[in-house]
Amino acid sequence: MNETQFPDRILLVDDEEALRDPLASYLAKQGFHVRQAESAAAARTMLRDEPADLVLLDIMMPGEDGLSLCRHLVEAQKTPVILLTARGEATDRIVGLEIGADDYVVKPFEPRELVARIRSVLRRASRAEAAPTMEQDYMFENWRLDPLKRRLTDPEGALVAISSAEFRLLRAFLDHPRQVLDRDRLLDMVQGREAHLFDRSVDNAISRLRRKVESDRTDPQLILTVRGGGYMLAADVSRVDPVSA
Amino acid sequence: MKRFLPKSLQGQMLLAVALALLVAQGIGASVAYRAQLEREDNGIIHSLAFRMIGGRILRDDDGREMRPPPGRPPRMGRLLRMAETPLRESDHRNHAFEDKLGRILAAQGFVATEIQVFERDTSDTVLGRFIERRRALRGDGRGDPKSIVVAAVRGQDSNEWLVARTLRDQREPRFLRNLILQTLLIYVVLIGVIALILRQITKPLAALTRRVEDFAANPTLGPDGRVEPQGPLDTRSLIAAHNAMEARIGTLLDEKDVMLGAIGHDLKTPLAALRVRIESVDDDDERAKMAGTIEDITRTLDDILSLARVGRPSDPQEPTEISALTASVVEEFEDMGEAVELGDTTRIVLSVRATWLRRAIRNLASNALRYAGGACVTVEKRGKLAVISVTDNGPGIPEDELDRMMEPFERGDPSRNRGTGGAGIGLALARAIAEQHGGSLVLENRAEGGLRAEIRLPL
Repeated sequence: MNETQFPDRILLVDDEEALRDPLASYLAKQGFHVRQAESAAAARTMLRDEPADLVLLDIMMPGEDGLSLCRHLVEAQKTPVILLTARGEATDRIVGLEIGADDYVVKPFEPRELVARIRSVLRRASRAEAAPTMEQDYMFENWRLDPLKRRLTDPEGALVAISSAEFRLLRAFLDHPRQVLDRDRLLDMVQGREAHLFDRSVDNAISRLRRKVESDRTDPQLILTVRGGGYMLAADVSRVDPVSA
Repeated sequence: MKRFLPKSLQGQMLLAVALALLVAQGIGASVAYRAQLEREDNGIIHSLAFRMIGGRILRDDDGREMRPPPGRPPRMGRLLRMAETPLRESDHRNHAFEDKLGRILAAQGFVATEIQVFERDTSDTVLGRFIERRRALRGDGRGDPKSIVVAAVRGQDSNEWLVARTLRDQREPRFLRNLILQTLLIYVVLIGVIALILRQITKPLAALTRRVEDFAANPTLGPDGRVEPQGPLDTRSLIAAHNAMEARIGTLLDEKDVMLGAIGHDLKTPLAALRVRIESVDDDDERAKMAGTIEDITRTLDDILSLARVGRPSDPQEPTEISALTASVVEEFEDMGEAVELGDTTRIVLSVRATWLRRAIRNLASNALRYAGGACVTVEKRGKLAVISVTDNGPGIPEDELDRMMEPFERGDPSRNRGTGGAGIGLALARAIAEQHGGSLVLENRAEGGLRAEIRLPL
């Protein structure tokens, strides 16, 4: 991409200078235009002067916390947000994603992974400018996928653990039900966003996904292998409003 | 014997009251019984004395004594004059009565040289038999058997015996029955009253017990379920004291959570900074080693924070498919190229905290990797348990150290060098997580060599 000409503008909000400085220079080296804010209030002022393409936001800060600023950014400014969180607990992540953060990373994170996620979020943002923030759940054969929280539940309502790669693969199928998708197409749809998380073969990912959604892995009923190199979701898909929990 | 004794406060109290009441009634009854006996005896003696002194001997107009018509006994109230004493060989003299009668007669100026008092069954006397017969004719047959007390007195300078008689009602068993009925009545009334009072005491106590049990099982309970101070002052103070303690524990736990959150944040942010800085190290090998070290520190920190929080998880349980969860953990290891493989699995839906259970499985697998170089993970249903087993082909653990291994900071290798392990908290955390879900962690050496670690969760 033309990163050198129009570098993406990132605002890094964290109260710890010890992290802010090295992270800012690392991201600058990766070709981003980085500004720093040490508090939510400072971030608001800086965004008023010049908007950002993406905000990297620490959740735990003195004064106004990251979640509150995040809500403001998502609702008022439609700016993509990646949350930086020190706690890895599921509730924190879910709260973050629920109020509209695009992604989160847990400290300490691998810088390359952070960069990959930044690129992925930016790409998603540019591709779907007017994408609704409230996404509906996918329903297929009584299974339910909540795209926001990335939760898959089986017909009995039990949570079925899937990795983010499997989530993207499943979502690709759900967006194209009853269509044959060949390996290249799947790889393109899935890998395009976070390459580092999808460095296995498509077949491997399909096999893992089947392990979780098929009652008999050797005789798949949902994700069929199509002769001539491709896969197909053999189910009708509908969109419903998320269950308010 | 002991197991028949009531255990509860109410039962013991009622039993004690019943026993005390019985003893008191018993003493009271025996006193009353003796008093009644004495009263009865005195009555008999006085009646005899009265007849002896004031009794008249019926005489006809000529002054001759009238005799009862043949075939009829002399009347009860009459004083008899006899030449011989009516005492027979078979009669037992009642010396106490004789003494008393003698004293009364003497006080009235009747000096007797000889006094004989004895008692006969009604059936033994002509008069008695006559009275019984008359009673039976009158339909008064339910009358208790009676006896006749006979007093024979020989006065001074006289060869004649004056004989007086009186009836004694046989002591009736009704007396005992009355006592029992009375005791029962008092007991019923008392039990009713005491039970009412005890309920006032035991009801709040029972509520408090339930609350303490609930709180012990789950100290995160809010103040809503607390027992209101109620009942007598003692119970009231106990409940108030317990509520204060509960609030204090709650505050301590909250403080602990805040502190742990702060520690996590304060340590992880510099670690994150360090992790960013090492990207500028040019030597790839060196950088990878540094990244590995930072990852180790992070994992240990996470384990410590988790162990401290495991008893008070903030996330709710939700129905989760266990085999998919297990598979996703195994896949993380596969992605890193580690030799952890997924064996047979069964679909089992259980209500769990997925992040915690995932961490437990991950810890068991890392442990197997560290000590045996590989692991196989399976999920099965065994009776009423869901069993997630992690098996390896390593050296296992000496039998006598198996339990100790699940204590925090224990490791098979006491050297604690970084090459063979972390802080030795992994197994302790896995066990704590299993227990958090109401299950257990079981370690055993396999017959074919190697260790089997099982997380057993109730279905």
